[in-house]
Amino acid sequence: MRILIVEDEPDLLASLAQALREEGYAVDTADNGDDGLFNAEGTDYDAIVLDVMLPGIDGWEILKRLRKTKKTPVLMLTARDQTRDRVKGLDTGADDYVVKPFDLEEVFARLRAVIRRSANKTTNLIEIGDVQIDTAARNVLFKEKPVELTAREYSLVEFMALHRGEVVTRTQLYEHLFDENDTTMSNLLDVHVSNVRKKLGAEFIVTRRGHGYCIE
Amino acid sequence: MKIFKSIKWRLQLWYGLILVVVLAGFGFTAYQLERNRQFGRIDQELHRRLNVLANALHRPPPRRLDQGFFRPPPDQMPDEAPPIRQENRPQPEFRLPPEAAQLFGTNDSNGFYFHITSGTENDRHEIARSENYQKPKAVIQFDHFFDQLNHADLPPEKRPAKLKSMDYQDERITADILPSGELIEVGCSIAPELNELRHTALNLAAVGSLILLVGLTGGWWFVGCALWPVSAISTTAAKISAGDLSQRINVADAESELGQLAAILNSTFARLETAFAQQKQFASDAAHELRTPVTVILTQTQMALARERDAAGYKQTVEACQRAAQRMRKLIESLLELARFDAGQEILKRMKFDFAKMISDSTELVQTLADERGVKIMAELDALEVTGDPERLSQVVTNLLTNAIQYNQPSGEVRVKLESQTGLAVLKIADTGQGIAPEDLPRVFERFYRADKSRTGAGNAGLGLSICKAIVEAHGGTMEVASKQNVGTTFTVRLPV
Repeated sequence: MRILIVEDEPDLLASLAQALREEGYAVDTADNGDDGLFNAEGTDYDAIVLDVMLPGIDGWEILKRLRKTKKTPVLMLTARDQTRDRVKGLDTGADDYVVKPFDLEEVFARLRAVIRRSANKTTNLIEIGDVQIDTAARNVLFKEKPVELTAREYSLVEFMALHRGEVVTRTQLYEHLFDENDTTMSNLLDVHVSNVRKKLGAEFIVTRRGHGYCIE
Repeated sequence: MKIFKSIKWRLQLWYGLILVVVLAGFGFTAYQLERNRQFGRIDQELHRRLNVLANALHRPPPRRLDQGFFRPPPDQMPDEAPPIRQENRPQPEFRLPPEAAQLFGTNDSNGFYFHITSGTENDRHEIARSENYQKPKAVIQFDHFFDQLNHADLPPEKRPAKLKSMDYQDERITADILPSGELIEVGCSIAPELNELRHTALNLAAVGSLILLVGLTGGWWFVGCALWPVSAISTTAAKISAGDLSQRINVADAESELGQLAAILNSTFARLETAFAQQKQFASDAAHELRTPVTVILTQTQMALARERDAAGYKQTVEACQRAAQRMRKLIESLLELARFDAGQEILKRMKFDFAKMISDSTELVQTLADERGVKIMAELDALEVTGDPERLSQVVTNLLTNAIQYNQPSGEVRVKLESQTGLAVLKIADTGQGIAPEDLPRVFERFYRADKSRTGAGNAGLGLSICKAIVEAHGGTMEVASKQNVGTTFTVRLPV
């Protein structure tokens, strides 16, 4: 899962980015409106965390312009908790909002929710054959036994599971699992895929030669 | 009683009372006039008949009502004129001429009657009477006629000009004693007149009551109309005191005294509402400014505590928390400073000091910042002394200079000019920045107002210019701003010397 955070307060940006990385997300950051819009339009993020008050283009404007081209889920961070601000945010196209000051747990939960909704899932539980994925607790059961996965392996499983039945290209996987700071080796993805197959059964991820991978 | 405390009731009672007194006065006067007219007419009739009878007795010259008896002068008096109350005077013969007899009734009890007697008071004998004279009906009260009876022997010019009459039950009687000693009584029934007067009195009372009723009703309505705004005002004021500051009194009649009062109250309410809204906005802005540092502390600590960290990780968190706390401290200090100025609690030093030197000191203080941005500061300072708090005023100058540098273009200029104008020290600080948009210009001194909606740096909460203005105004000075876009902004501070 790859996320963009647009926030101008440096300490807040740093702690949010670090916390989300530790949650296993690939995180890109922008500390002003112009960079934020550029990133948001250029990459398929799984979600965007967007502050309202920004130097340059403000959060409302970014949202408005972004909605012309992309449906990326957007979680607004706002310091104003008046109803009209929330209504304005939701009407402009935000998927959810969090009012400052917030708890990190709440941001995580809301992020999971907007990502889940954008994948048309209604619960945190995904069942594929013998594999059960709990996206809230971020754990995976295989034949009802917990499986140890690294953060990146889990992200791979979750992303593939949310796009079940679709062929996911390697480029897509690179985009969603690694952020702009990762200097990935091209074969790192194959390593992750083979590790997941070892842990969850060889048939869990199917390779479509010349296209990518798929969970059926 | 509560009812008598009400203005409406007291007014009603007061003019009701006045109306009753006036109406009663008019009614009484009208009744008296009517009564006098009626009785005057009867008296005239009675006296005419008395004279006719007197004439019939002796045929003396007729007595005129207004002049008493007319008698010839004494020298023309006939010698044989009998002395008054002569004991054995021969009885005069009495013959009532027919034209005089018509004046008196016969059996008709309503008509006029007469009774003529002679003799002394205790020994009277009748000379003549009308047919309808009934003794018990009228008993002459001699006391009543005493004056005029006792004056019978006076010369006519000294006799009372007018004969008296008296009422006995529903009769009216007059009497006179002729110089020759005969007592003539003439009377008539006044029952119809009394009846008529009773009618008049009833009519007057009815008309008076009607007028009173109309007056009271009209007055009630009018007082109600006049006092209606008072209840409107109190209803609105009650709503406002209950917390709804948007209420206004509906001023229907702006010209009346209460209308003017309502207009004044409305403007007071409007100012209250604005002040309340500003206060609310201020509190909400202050809370909003505190939200970001609190968010930083929360996310930093929650993230740090989520798992074990190395020392560097914790240090990072603690440093971030410190920065957030510093920012909050600065904000809180600014807020408290403003609150003290608002409450008039900020104690300013009052001392004479060299304003020009203080400005050049401040300029040196910001020189490093100016050098960083390549901004040139040009000062043109007249030697001037002002009285005030040098630390506070230095805060103002430094703040304005910092703004002028920060919002300048690279390698721009800041011009500082101090001069004396008609007893005022005028300080102008002009930059060559991009200027302030006209829509933002009137609001730059507002608290938490930032022309640039985003934060331009931690700690800049948009309170600096508000504090500067508060300081200058606490010194009895004024602060203004003028700006032209893409040319620059000039702040002008005027202080009394």
